[in-house]
Amino acid sequence: MKIIRKIYPPGQFRIPVIILCGIFTGLSLFSLYISRFFSYLGDDPSACVNCHIMAPQYATWFHSSHREKTNCNDCHVPHGNVFRKYMFKASDGLRHAAVFTMRKEPQVIFIKEAGSKVVQENCIRCHSELITDSRLAVYNKETNHGREERKCIDCHRETPHGTVNSLASVPYARVPLPESPVPGWMKQFRQNK
Amino acid sequence: MKSIQEILKEKPWLGWILFIFTVVVVFLLGMLASSIVERRAEAVFAYTPRITFPAYEPRSEKWGEIFPREYFSFMKTSDTGFRSKYNGSMTIDVLGESPQMVILWAGYPFSKDYRQGRGHYYSVEDIRRTLRTGAPSKDAPGPMPNTCWTCKSSNVPGMISSSGPSVFYQGAWETKGPEMTNAIGCADCHNAENMNLKITRPALIEAFNAMDKDLSRISHQEMRSLVCAQCHVEYYFSRDVTDGVQYLVYPWKYGTGAEDMEKYYDEIAFSDWTHSLSRAPMLKAQHPDYEMYLTGTHASRGVSCADCHMPFISEGGQKFTDHHIQSPLNNVGNSCQVCHREETARLVNDVYLRQDKIIENRKKLEMILVKCHLEAKAAWDYGAKEEQMKEILTYIRRAQWRWDFVAAGHGNSFHSPVEASRLIADGIALASEARLRLSRVLASLGYNKEVQLPDITTKLKAQEYIGLDMKKLETEKSEFLNKVIREWDKGK
Repeated sequence: MKIIRKIYPPGQFRIPVIILCGIFTGLSLFSLYISRFFSYLGDDPSACVNCHIMAPQYATWFHSSHREKTNCNDCHVPHGNVFRKYMFKASDGLRHAAVFTMRKEPQVIFIKEAGSKVVQENCIRCHSELITDSRLAVYNKETNHGREERKCIDCHRETPHGTVNSLASVPYARVPLPESPVPGWMKQFRQNK
Repeated sequence: MKSIQEILKEKPWLGWILFIFTVVVVFLLGMLASSIVERRAEAVFAYTPRITFPAYEPRSEKWGEIFPREYFSFMKTSDTGFRSKYNGSMTIDVLGESPQMVILWAGYPFSKDYRQGRGHYYSVEDIRRTLRTGAPSKDAPGPMPNTCWTCKSSNVPGMISSSGPSVFYQGAWETKGPEMTNAIGCADCHNAENMNLKITRPALIEAFNAMDKDLSRISHQEMRSLVCAQCHVEYYFSRDVTDGVQYLVYPWKYGTGAEDMEKYYDEIAFSDWTHSLSRAPMLKAQHPDYEMYLTGTHASRGVSCADCHMPFISEGGQKFTDHHIQSPLNNVGNSCQVCHREETARLVNDVYLRQDKIIENRKKLEMILVKCHLEAKAAWDYGAKEEQMKEILTYIRRAQWRWDFVAAGHGNSFHSPVEASRLIADGIALASEARLRLSRVLASLGYNKEVQLPDITTKLKAQEYIGLDMKKLETEKSEFLNKVIREWDKGK
């Protein structure tokens, strides 16, 4: 209460500040709504195509066998503990948002080092039997290099997104992109006019 | 710490700075919000075509404005440069290569002209050119009904959907000729709304209903064959569905095997024509490509027509379906080798090997059938009675049905070599039985020697023998092409 009294604007500023605060709050809520902010808290892959430039990644995943068992977050977000998960989500997501807002997205998107490490972690998280099964183990002088220094994706390059991922690679893919935010009744109203 | 009110009392200008600062923040937030709106609006059209056309747009070039890769690859069906050992993409004069077929089809339009059709691009042109469709004029209506157009043009789906099939099939083929301005194209297989595959020909839907199968519960992979099965199947024109209309029907009531269809035809006592030499009630197998494919290994492994005839290709980093529908032998890399890790030459040889072996026996059956027809003619000439001949003619009908079932589909001996061999072998057995009985009839009539075969070493000689005036047919046709067809194309 004390703080509010301290920052309370003097007489002649009161009305403009109230209006500006209202606009500020309204715009903030509008931004959260229009960016579908709350979808980012869950695991639904359609959240990742809120930005349409992720459509090729979505489409290629959707046509791969990984579709049956995984969503985007299963591979692209760490699963050690909930803090790490949301920390990574927040930092990655904010970077994406910044790049997208500034229109700095590249024509072909490559994964960054941090993301690549997370993916490798997650390959092992599900497919651990492939590297622990003694029947599949081979020990020779290449073992260290072969099993510890390389990443799964170094060989399994097409899993699951295929080889070409430019923004133009899947022009007709059916991807659940966000629809027009204008509500139906408003469209109707405009048409009736 | 002092409150803002106190500070501002001392320094009133600070209030303005605070005010302007808030204005800037709200302004920037507004910019961010509008940027989000803008990019969301982008998503609405980024992957959505801007061009729209009606549901049954017959002009493939309109669809091509949105789907240039599919369209341009489809236009390659105009290529006529590929020839395999037995087939190819150019016009092949089948009667010229096998004059004995003229005898097999005596009395039926196929004896006049049987040229293997070219790619889908030429579907309208080829049906106009063939002698089978005659040279209709004002005084003499054409020999074929409008039903023939069903599989020739992308104008058809729209016309059938607006008038219904019966009205569409009505009348001689030249009455709708001028309206058939487009060859087979996009509208024949695709839903304009979402590019899903779509069955546009009612005959296939009716055939599935006759088999108690539901077409709407079919998987996408099956659709990749069924859109082809709209046309590449055995069919006949029934006069029983609507009065005065030759209604297109697939004889699948008892199944899609050769014997199943034969049973159906026997039951309704249907024959395509009566043979002019042997007087047998004949069946003409049209092109049971889909039915034969169903009996093969590839079908049982779930491989669809499109998997080999329209494989995926990539161009400029985009993967899409190659709409250059053609022989996989001209595109082994994208079709066969996706599954079979063998050299191209070996794969092609495997195909030729099957074709060679089946054609070897098919030719034998062909010659036996020629003798059947000629010996039956001799029997009639010597005064054979109806009841003596009836069973024999049924044998001939059955044998030639089996021969035609294999011969009429160009890919049959590869699509299903075992079934093709079985049918040919069965045909040989049936035709040999017919000849055995014929020789008994002939003997009983006092003729106990070999029936002399006429000279049918060339197409022209064979056609002359069965009494076709080819010169007249050809002159009429070229006149028709020069006058009537020009008139049709003017309206384009």
